[in-house]
Formats: sequence, structure tokens, C-alpha cells
Amino acid sequence: MRRVRPIIVGCLSLAVAAVVFVIPFLFIALQAVKSRSEASRLNFQLPQDWLLWDNLVAVVEARNYQLLLAYFNSTIITLFSVTILVVLSAMVGYVMQRRRSRWNSIAQGAVLIGLMMPPAVVPTIGLLQSIGLFKTMTGMVLIQVAYNLSFSTLLYRSFIGTIPRDLDEAALIDGAKPWQIFFRVVMPLLKPVTVTNIVVQSIAIFNDFTNPLYYLPGRENVTVQLTLFNFQSMYSSQYNLLFMNILLVTIPPLIVFIFFNRQIVAGMTAGGVKG
Amino acid sequence: MSGVQLKNIRKSFGALEVIKGIDLDIRPGEFVVFVGPSGCGKSTLLRMIAGLEDVTSGLLTIGGKDVTWADPSKRGIAMVFQSYALYPHMTVAENIGFGLSLAGRPKAEIESKVREAAESLQLTPLLDRKPKALSGGQRQRVAIGRAIVRNPAVFLFDEPLSNLDASLRAQMRLEITDLHKKLGTTMIYVTHDQVEAMTMADKIVVLKGGEVEQVGTPMDLYTKPATPFVAGFIGSPRMNLYTGAAAEGLGCKTYGIRPEDVTLSSQSGRWSGRIRHVERLGADALVYFKVEGFGDMVARTHSSADFQPEATVWATPTLGAEYFFDR
Ligand SMILES: Nc1ncnc2c1ncn2[C@@H]1O[C@H](COP(=O)(O)OP(=O)(O)OP(=O)(O)O)[C@@H](O)[C@H]1O
Ligand SMILES: [Mg+2]
Repeated sequence: MRRVRPIIVGCLSLAVAAVVFVIPFLFIALQAVKSRSEASRLNFQLPQDWLLWDNLVAVVEARNYQLLLAYFNSTIITLFSVTILVVLSAMVGYVMQRRRSRWNSIAQGAVLIGLMMPPAVVPTIGLLQSIGLFKTMTGMVLIQVAYNLSFSTLLYRSFIGTIPRDLDEAALIDGAKPWQIFFRVVMPLLKPVTVTNIVVQSIAIFNDFTNPLYYLPGRENVTVQLTLFNFQSMYSSQYNLLFMNILLVTIPPLIVFIFFNRQIVAGMTAGGVKG
Repeated sequence: MSGVQLKNIRKSFGALEVIKGIDLDIRPGEFVVFVGPSGCGKSTLLRMIAGLEDVTSGLLTIGGKDVTWADPSKRGIAMVFQSYALYPHMTVAENIGFGLSLAGRPKAEIESKVREAAESLQLTPLLDRKPKALSGGQRQRVAIGRAIVRNPAVFLFDEPLSNLDASLRAQMRLEITDLHKKLGTTMIYVTHDQVEAMTMADKIVVLKGGEVEQVGTPMDLYTKPATPFVAGFIGSPRMNLYTGAAAEGLGCKTYGIRPEDVTLSSQSGRWSGRIRHVERLGADALVYFKVEGFGDMVARTHSSADFQPEATVWATPTLGAEYFFDR
């Protein structure tokens, strides 16, 4: 009896997880390979013809290959924002952790406010317009950096707290300048948390729907999640294409996630650099 | 080889004064040990010499040059930390050569210097390992190697052996002493272990509460302690010290007698007491007993002497080995 219970509980939780996570995904995948009329019924019936390739081509070609442009834009935004985020927040976290000064508590407060206060959309647009960054990729990158900086900084700060100060001092005696201490001693030790940060932020930024919607309007600026939005207004009844599009947009982050799954957890729980 | 001079060095953390004016003259090539109880400011003093902690006031010179405000890397010092502070992401070779590579030395020079240091410390087979894959003693050696390649005028050690087990500690003690003999460099060594201080030092500086209590050679401090504190600190087991009425009866504020200067007998002697406990260390035995009107006393005897707990014992101090302190 003792042996059976954990198995039952395990199976039950797996079943619940399957219902919550896998079934919607299967549903999407199923609709994506149906014909237009079959998909509009939105049920679990298997399709008569598997139209995987046709739907795929239709989605990619739609609106003059808009999806490819969207992939390009999203990738550029993700790449630049995550790079800036990682370097900037690691540096801020390092200084906040290591240097004791009056400004520390102010910086601390600012970081917490950044974490808790919801961003106001209209004033932000006004600001972007006034400095000429509205509807530009640069503006979008800066927005993503600003919105995610607090979380990222806190993550780094607490991790840097586990790196013994002796290492900084040993490097100082070895003749390292402050920036050399950071880039050659501290930064390499931040690898686990950096991997976590890169993956989590990349997925969030790549998948972002609302921020590009507000701050990056314009056909040439389209990002992957916005292609869905465009689709729905264009083929309002073409669920098969819509779901195919969802599938295409979901897969890259999913692959990244599956690939880095273990590192993410490791980075979240890591600490205590042994030396 | 450079001497180190401290002139009225003070250090405060906020309102708390930790180092209260220290004057010290360390001659070139000397092996100086700072000892003292925990929290007396040994590490703080060493870190001020290293430049890791700002001096609040006073003057510090190394090799005759005023370095009170110089960068740590410009002082010609190298430091070995208690935690070793090896860079975990670098191999042993990279750890040792890091300072040289920061200084932009050519690759060949770095490599040959690292090899040389590794050879003298028997680290050659370990050069490609990461610190994680080393034992405590090996990490210690790498830390020393990293100090050696800097070719410093002064070596600083902050309790480098306290994370090692007893036998390894004895071995590393010898190795560091040998290193000092070989290099002839000035070394400043912090410890709270009086055995390390006695065995390694040319000169011991006893610190207490941020002030120098006494400076001298190990045997000077052992035979001529200036204060009861030094008397109690140097020597193991510690000197028997008595204050109050017992000491006043002998005409002083504090009376001291070392355990090795107490002769025990089962028939007669100056004091009598009841044995509480006997520790046999092998060649020697330590006898703990309580003298009425005096207090607890320890005596060191040959372990063949047959003293049993609860028995009455007579103790006599060796003539001329008694200490009468005026404070
Ligand atoms: N950064 C600091 N801020 C405030 N007080 C400090 C700081 N560093 C040290 N102290 C205080 O200075 C005193 C001396 O510290 P120090 O580390 O020099 O002692 P120590 O003699 O090395 O002791 P131990 O043998 O335990 O290492 C202690 O009372 C400590 O609390
Ligand atoms: Mg200390």
C-alpha cells in the first residue's frame, strides 16, 4: 500500500499537468494542420487531409512574407535588449553589492520601485515621441531594458553576495583595475545566473505582445507576436492559419526552454562559489 | 627585501576605534608574527599594510617609501588569504600567472615564471586543475605560488593555516619557514595560534585591543613577559596566573608560574591541593589541581609519575621562574 500511493499521486499530478499544458498545445497543433472549414469547428476531430505544408506556406507567405520580417525584428530586439540587460544589470548589481555608500539605499529603493510600479503607457509614449524614439527599434530595445532591469539587477546582486570579497581583494593586489576585477574575476563566476537570466529574458522579450503593440506600431516594425494580431483581423475565420502561426511563433522559445531547462533551475538556486 | 615602518597608525570604523596608535619597525628580511586574541585588530592591521583598508591616520612606509595612500598593487606586497581566495574559474597555472598577465607580460615569460613557482612548491602536476579539484594543502600552496610570482618585497599572511588539519598545519609551517629562509623576504604573518607564533617568528608582536602589548623574540616573550596578558598568551598550556589576595600576599598585583616550572610531590611542598584531572599527552602529563585559597593550577610532569585524581598533591615553584607583575 505504501508503495502504491506515491505512484497514484504522481500519475494524478501528471494527468493534471497534461490537461493544463499539453492538451492546449495538442489542440493548437491539430487545428494547424486542418483545412479552413474543419478548423473553424474548433474540435478534437482528426483532419481528413493533413495540410501541414500548405498551411505553413500560406502563413509564411501571408502579407508578403511578413512573418520572416517579424522573426528578424523580434530577434534583433531580443538580442540587443538582452545583451544590454545582462552587462548593465551585472555591473549595477556588482556595485550595489560591493560598494557601501549613501547612494546605496536610494538605488535599492529605485530598483524596488522599478520592480513594483506598473509602467504607464501613455506618458511613456509621450516621452518616446519627444525624444524621437517612438516607433523605432532603438526605442523598443530601451523600453525592454528599462522594464526588465530591476529584476535582473536583483538577481545579480544577490548572487554576487555569495562571491567572497577576498577574490576582489586578491585581484586588487594582483594589480587588477576595477573593470578588470569585474570582467575577469566576477563576471565569469556569474555564468550560471547569466544563463538563467539570458534564457528567461529572451523568452519574455521575444514573446512580448503588449509592449511592441503600444510602442512599436507600424507595418515594417512588426514582431512575431503581433503577426497573430494582424492575422486575426485579416483571416478572422481562418483558424487553421492562425493556429499554424501560433505554432511557428511558440516553437523557438520552446526549444530554447527545453534546451536550457536544467541550467535555468541551476542558476536560480545556485550560489556559494567554492574556492 | 624591504623593511616596513608603522608610525602611530590608527584605524576607526565610524566611531569605533579598532587600531589605537601602533608604532612598529620591521627590519628587512624579518619574519614578524602578529598574535592576539580574536577581534584585537590583527587582520585590520595587516589589511592596512596591504592597502585593502584605508589608514585613518598615521604613516606607513615600505622599503623607505611612504605608501600610506598607495594602491595595493603598487606597494610591492603579496598576500595569502585565510580562505586562499583562488579564482575558481581559472586553472592553477592561470591563478598563479594572473598578476603577470594583468601586467601584460609576454606569454613565454609568464609560463616560465609559473613553472618555476610551481616546481618549488611541487605543484607541477596540478597546473591544469581548477581549485575545486585540489585539497586544502594544495590550495594553500597555489595561494603561496601566486604570491611568489609577484616577487614581492613583503609577504603578508592572514591566518593561512587555520583551515588545515593539525598534521598538515605542522608541515605547512615548515614549508613557509623554509620559503622564508630561501627567499629571505620580509614576511608578516597573522595568527591567533601561539604555537605558530613561537615556532616561526623572528619577532612576535602581541596585540591586545588594538594596541601593541609587547614586541620581542619568541624566547624573550616566553622568559620575560612584560604583562600578565603576554604571560598568559605565550606558552602552552598557559601560565598559571593569580590575582587578588593570593597575589597580594606575595607582594604583587598578579602572580604567575608556568606549568613546566611547578614540581609535584606526594609528600611535601609549598602548596597542597586535590587533583581534579590528569591528562596524559604521551611523554608528559598535565595535572590539574585546586590549591585552597589560591585557585586552579596546572603542572606539567613526566607521564611516568603516578598521580591519580582525588589524591592530594604538593606543588613547589622552581626558584627564579616565578613572575611578579605590578598590574
Ligand atoms: N569593516 C568593518 N566595519 C566595522 N568594524 C570592523 C570591520 N572590520 C573589522 N571590524 C572590527 O574591528 C575589530 C578587529 O577586527 P579584526 O578582523 O582585525 O580582528 P582579528 O584580530 O583579525 O580577529 P580574528 O582573530 O578573529 O581574525 C573587530 O572588533 C571587528 O569587529
Ligand atoms: Mg582576522
